[in-house]
Amino acid sequence: MSSARLRPRSSALVSLLIPLALIALVALVGATGTPSLEGTVIQILCNLIIVVGLQVFVGNSGVYSFGQLGFATAGAYVAALLTLPAAFVLLQTPGLPDFVADANAGPLVSTLIAAAFSALLAAVIGLPLMRTSTLAIPISTFAFLIVAYNVVANWDRITGGNAGLVSIPTTTGVGAAGLWAGVAVVLALAFKWSPSGYRLQATREDEVAARSIGIGLMRERMIAFTISGALCGVGGALAVHQSGVLNPTTFYFGATVTTMTMLVVGGARSVLGAVAGAIAIAVVNELLRGIENGADLFGVISIGEAPGLAAIGLGLILLATMIAMPNGLSGGREAGELPWLRRPRSSPPPPLPAAEETDGAVPTARPAPGTLRAEGVSLAFAGLRVLRDVDLTLASGEVLGLIGPNGAGKTTLVNVLSGFQRPDAGTVSLDGASVAGSSPARLARRGLGRTFQAALPFPHLSGLENVAVGAMGMGASRRRAVATATDVLTRLDLTELARMPAGAMPPGSQRLLGVARALAIQPRYLLLDEPAAGLSDAEGEQLTAILRNVLADFGCGILLIEHDMNIVMKLCPRVQVLDDGRTLRVGTPQEIQADPAVIESYLGSNFLAAVDA
Amino acid sequence: MTELGQNLIDALALGSLYALIALGITLVYTVMGMMNFAHGEFIMLAAYALYVLAGLPFGFAVAAALLTGSVVAVLAERVAFRPVRNADLSAQLVTSLAVAAILQNIVTVAVNARAQSVETPTALSETTSIGGLMVPNLEFVTLGLTAIVLAGLGWLLYRTRTGLTMRAAAENFDMARLLGVRADRVIAISFAISGALAAAVGVLIVMQTGQVSPTMGLTPVLVGFVAVVIGGFGRIFGAVIGGLLLGALSSLLGVYLPDGLVPFRDAIVFTVPVLILIFRPHGLLGGEVGRARV
Repeated sequence: MSSARLRPRSSALVSLLIPLALIALVALVGATGTPSLEGTVIQILCNLIIVVGLQVFVGNSGVYSFGQLGFATAGAYVAALLTLPAAFVLLQTPGLPDFVADANAGPLVSTLIAAAFSALLAAVIGLPLMRTSTLAIPISTFAFLIVAYNVVANWDRITGGNAGLVSIPTTTGVGAAGLWAGVAVVLALAFKWSPSGYRLQATREDEVAARSIGIGLMRERMIAFTISGALCGVGGALAVHQSGVLNPTTFYFGATVTTMTMLVVGGARSVLGAVAGAIAIAVVNELLRGIENGADLFGVISIGEAPGLAAIGLGLILLATMIAMPNGLSGGREAGELPWLRRPRSSPPPPLPAAEETDGAVPTARPAPGTLRAEGVSLAFAGLRVLRDVDLTLASGEVLGLIGPNGAGKTTLVNVLSGFQRPDAGTVSLDGASVAGSSPARLARRGLGRTFQAALPFPHLSGLENVAVGAMGMGASRRRAVATATDVLTRLDLTELARMPAGAMPPGSQRLLGVARALAIQPRYLLLDEPAAGLSDAEGEQLTAILRNVLADFGCGILLIEHDMNIVMKLCPRVQVLDDGRTLRVGTPQEIQADPAVIESYLGSNFLAAVDA
Repeated sequence: MTELGQNLIDALALGSLYALIALGITLVYTVMGMMNFAHGEFIMLAAYALYVLAGLPFGFAVAAALLTGSVVAVLAERVAFRPVRNADLSAQLVTSLAVAAILQNIVTVAVNARAQSVETPTALSETTSIGGLMVPNLEFVTLGLTAIVLAGLGWLLYRTRTGLTMRAAAENFDMARLLGVRADRVIAISFAISGALAAAVGVLIVMQTGQVSPTMGLTPVLVGFVAVVIGGFGRIFGAVIGGLLLGALSSLLGVYLPDGLVPFRDAIVFTVPVLILIFRPHGLLGGEVGRARV
């Protein structure tokens, strides 16, 4: 009996089979049609491969790249040059190195080499580009597109320059194009559902939350960028072996807009969207071109060099989609997640199987004593001193309450402890080792979990996926991550959230899910920033129970920022009071309650009466 | 020595042109938070206004071009960008890409995909000699225009009520709105100015190259984007610095690159700034994007 799956098996199967069926259908139309139709269909399938390649990066990262067609260009030129007949090599590309000129690669080998070359290029380009910020990536990839064009157009002796290449063998059949398209879909889905794919999707959903569970933004983007580059290279290579001609503008700005339109119209978050969008827009495009040619029939309009009319139509479709239907035709869902493809369910979804004692289960009673310690931490924002010489010690297995009025510096202190903020002075150490300058992701991987004042869920992922990604951030395999997530959800009594998209949950559930996600990294220290804020009374009770559970089961040290004094008094044997960036007092709840300074600054004279009531 | 001076003046002139492009882009980004792909098409359409109005007095044609840039920009905002004002950065970028594709192809259909030549006044293609330096008159125009635009923008932003509302909107859009700043008006004004700046750039490019084509806005918009990125998002004067650096780099590479590499100048020009980003991911002056929301 296998343990729970991230998604029901039937859903995954449908998600895989529907796009493959669509591709098969298109290929069938090509195979049974006229030669001209077959050529069109092959080009459509090549475009589809490029769009699926685009989806791997854009869809999972949420970051637009305008440079992927540069990788299609690279793949196309590599494939063309590897297969160009010797006589034409001399004529068109006299500077070509002999080993390429003499190569007599077949269609399969040249396509594979093209894929490898494009992947390598994407890795080399991605290394600097993926380091830049989320908004700089679209721009720097666009710069890459123009640089690639510039190089290809001017490197006459190798690429044939602006004149381009002709007489490239036309070896791509509709069968091969269809098979490659199928491979692209399988690859894209396999990536999407791999731990790396999930980690990347988490960064798309919320960069900050993703970093807090140990996810390195750049690494995950690099992986997807490289796979995407390879697929775009395949699309370019196959396309050029259909048309037989290639020039620097074949895969340039126009193709960038077309493929981007296909992806956006279909719905970038899903592979189904990429496939459906590629097919739908291709059909519309053919119709629009038909109108252009139709006008030619009557001799009214002579056709210009550029298919302007069709391009205007595509632009309008893209614009209308962005305004009216930003999630695209698929709504960003895979086929198995579409409501009208799911069997109607009268009964609630089956509960998760009970977590067995698998290797993914969170071990109870963990020993490894240690401390998270801040010493002399000071921090100022634009002259405003938020933290002044603050010390804090959190031992594993203890619960420390952190209280203080608004603006006392509590959240800033948590940000410093978790690496989101660098202190001006002072040190933070984890189990005695200084962790100054460590990124939040690295600290998470060293066992530091945290939540935020906002719940920051991954809205398009299910509850189970939200929690499983936490474990994947630590490098867990999909199997182990599911086991861990199931275990955490079961222990926190949150299993009813497992199959629901986090974005559809009420705020209280999202918040509890945030705690579960932080626990899935199996932290040794857990920093909770006002977990009860905005919870109803009942949810507050549930949270208190959960935290008691966490104490008993997970054994990690907990730092609890909380305004609800009832919760603090119930859970925390030790409390630290911050006021105006300074530590006012550290002591037991009883000592804190009795301290006149604390009462004046924070608790207020009515407090004792309120607690007693 | 004179050769160096000559090269530096050329570099400054190209840098000024690039700074004008970057200014137009950063103005919209600052107020609305959108990187506008269609800015290049505003440049292109203004240039086509010169082409269409060839034969009329040049001053009149230029005024018409400036008006064209402004009007198209304001219309694009009203029709296409306002509905996605609250969408994320990537969605806005793709929307503006759609607008760019539409405008570009309207011109392709209406005129032609090929480049068309445009007559410009001969006085501009002559050079003036200053202390041994031969300075093309067009460079004077470019430098003068940039200086005027910078001074004008500085005055508008820091000396007028409208400028105050624009800066407030840039600082905190929702708060400005709550305090009674009319958001639609502020954004429309920034698009109008941005469109006029684009038009000015279009006119300068036509005067320099003597031709127009539907895709002529592509490289300028990339230049502007890259300048904004290396200057730091949302920093108006960062964009100016970014533009100046990029223009100077391009101009000097044109002179000092070995002959074999000259065709690859653009490739090198766009590679260098990306390298800057590796070491300063948020631009030279630091920017507002990517700040952790914790």
